[in-house]
Amino acid sequence: MASETKLSHTAAMILQALDAGYVYGFSIMEMTGLPSGTVYPAMRRLERDELILSRWEKQSIADNEQRPPRKYYKLTAVGWKTLQASRRRYPLLERLIPSGVEEAENV
Amino acid sequence: MRPSAKSAFEFLDQALLCGASRLVPGDMRAEWMREWRAELWHVRQERAPMDQLSWQAEREIALFCIGAFQDAFCLGRQRWKLSMPSLTMQGSAMQCILLLAICLIAAYGIALLSPGVRAERLLSQRPQSSGLMLLLASDDSSSVISPAQYQAWKRQKHSSFDGFAFYRVSEENVGSESGMAGSRQHGKWRVAQASANLLSLLGLPVQFAKLDSNTDCNLPDVILSEVIWKMEFNANPHIAGSIVQIGKRRARVAGVVAEDTWGLPGKAGAWILESDSAIAAGGAGYVVAHLSGGGGEKMWPAISQITEYGPDDSEHNYLGYYIDEWKPGAWGIYWFGILLALISLPAITSVSLGEYSLNPQKTSLPKKLLSWSFLSAKIVLLLPIVYFASLDLAYLCVTHDSHLSLDIQLASSFFIGLFGLRWALLDHRQRCPVCLRHMEHPAQVGLASRTFLAWNGTEMMCVGGHTLLHIPALPTSWFDAQRWLYLDTSWEFLFVGSGVG
Repeated sequence: MASETKLSHTAAMILQALDAGYVYGFSIMEMTGLPSGTVYPAMRRLERDELILSRWEKQSIADNEQRPPRKYYKLTAVGWKTLQASRRRYPLLERLIPSGVEEAENV
Repeated sequence: MRPSAKSAFEFLDQALLCGASRLVPGDMRAEWMREWRAELWHVRQERAPMDQLSWQAEREIALFCIGAFQDAFCLGRQRWKLSMPSLTMQGSAMQCILLLAICLIAAYGIALLSPGVRAERLLSQRPQSSGLMLLLASDDSSSVISPAQYQAWKRQKHSSFDGFAFYRVSEENVGSESGMAGSRQHGKWRVAQASANLLSLLGLPVQFAKLDSNTDCNLPDVILSEVIWKMEFNANPHIAGSIVQIGKRRARVAGVVAEDTWGLPGKAGAWILESDSAIAAGGAGYVVAHLSGGGGEKMWPAISQITEYGPDDSEHNYLGYYIDEWKPGAWGIYWFGILLALISLPAITSVSLGEYSLNPQKTSLPKKLLSWSFLSAKIVLLLPIVYFASLDLAYLCVTHDSHLSLDIQLASSFFIGLFGLRWALLDHRQRCPVCLRHMEHPAQVGLASRTFLAWNGTEMMCVGGHTLLHIPALPTSWFDAQRWLYLDTSWEFLFVGSGVG
């Protein structure tokens, strides 16, 4: 697991975006303004460090909406604790990405 | 709408993803492609909806796909790190031997490339022409000797010397004959005009010395210094036999000699070997003399006064300096430095290997043999490292004939040898006797203020789970040396998944 104090600002933004309800890669890109070459590798590392976990959307839901299924991400308990520590370290984090968006209704 | 252009962009995006997927480990590739294709579908819906073609949108989509390369590279790197045998190699005996081998190769490589070390090697191969003296006129402030005096010494039978050579150094304009391969227009060189026997008397090794029957044998031979040969002739190995114009005369290149092996007054870039009649026509210079059998006893001190009387009973005083003053070779200095290091070693570290165990379990004979073999291998690798490193330091920036280079080699042999041997012993004392892995995770145990009431020191652990090492902070009568505690099977649960053992 990654140490809380070593979490970069980028990783903290991604955790904050996930907590705010942006639960797939492209929505996190849109929210944070980070490029795909930054967001996806950062999410791989966060997943490796067990701060987030991923799950594929059900095929039936995607079929109903005539689109390919997406891979959704969510915070683990450890990831949530790390995010709390990161919020103390980066006080503007919550202002940059306010919580409360409900985009993960399909997860 | 332009469907063909849109299809072309879609094809390009898919091609980018396929290209990036080649960087992803095979077992993860299918899922990785599935995720990126799904994301790409959504990006396209968001950025380039319906049938409109927007260059800006297509550019953004392409940039999104290019990001897939970074993601794929990240996954590949993660897998590579996992597959690296770093855990099992970390601190192992093999890693130590490999590092020493790399150091040895590096030190040897530097020695091969260093011109100073090469010159030293050439000189060590040079036959020792003992009994050579440089004669200087003590009456003359410039210390040079006239060609007439040199000719007189050569003619008359001398009781102390049985051979003489002469040289004088001057700056000459030099040019090459047209059509010479690898040459260019030359400028001014410092040329030593020397008697034909100078280099043979000095015993200097001449490279590429090859006689060419097609060239004019009446021309005097010229020997080039290695620097001139490289700078002016691009290190052409077929230089022997070429004709150069030195001043007003032509000369035939007869070989190349390493400049650092010269070591006599007057720095020269080339030596033109001429007949005595040509020598007599020029100005004063230096005389090198070879002592006869009886002359060596007469000229015992390093600097000798020589008095000659002319036909008119006039007195001429000369000073003779031994050229081949005895100097220990690099090999001798190295062994002397190592000997000093071995004598000094007990002063800076204990020479014991700290094999005291807390329980009666003893390491088996094969393990002991392996441990001793490892220590021997370290020392066997260390010794040539010390030799080449000391040569590198001694001759990297210092010319060969400087006594400073000898001093540097002695000092570096001693210090590198001393601290290298100290490291070999300290390293061995902190290796697990079972697996030879370096002990890890040092932990301070006890309080320094309670040294005489309780145990105080450092505990280290073998990551393979074989042993614990206790090192006292302050040796006491009941705990004066490090001790090994061999761990039994009840400790195994602590080391599950360590990958070693």
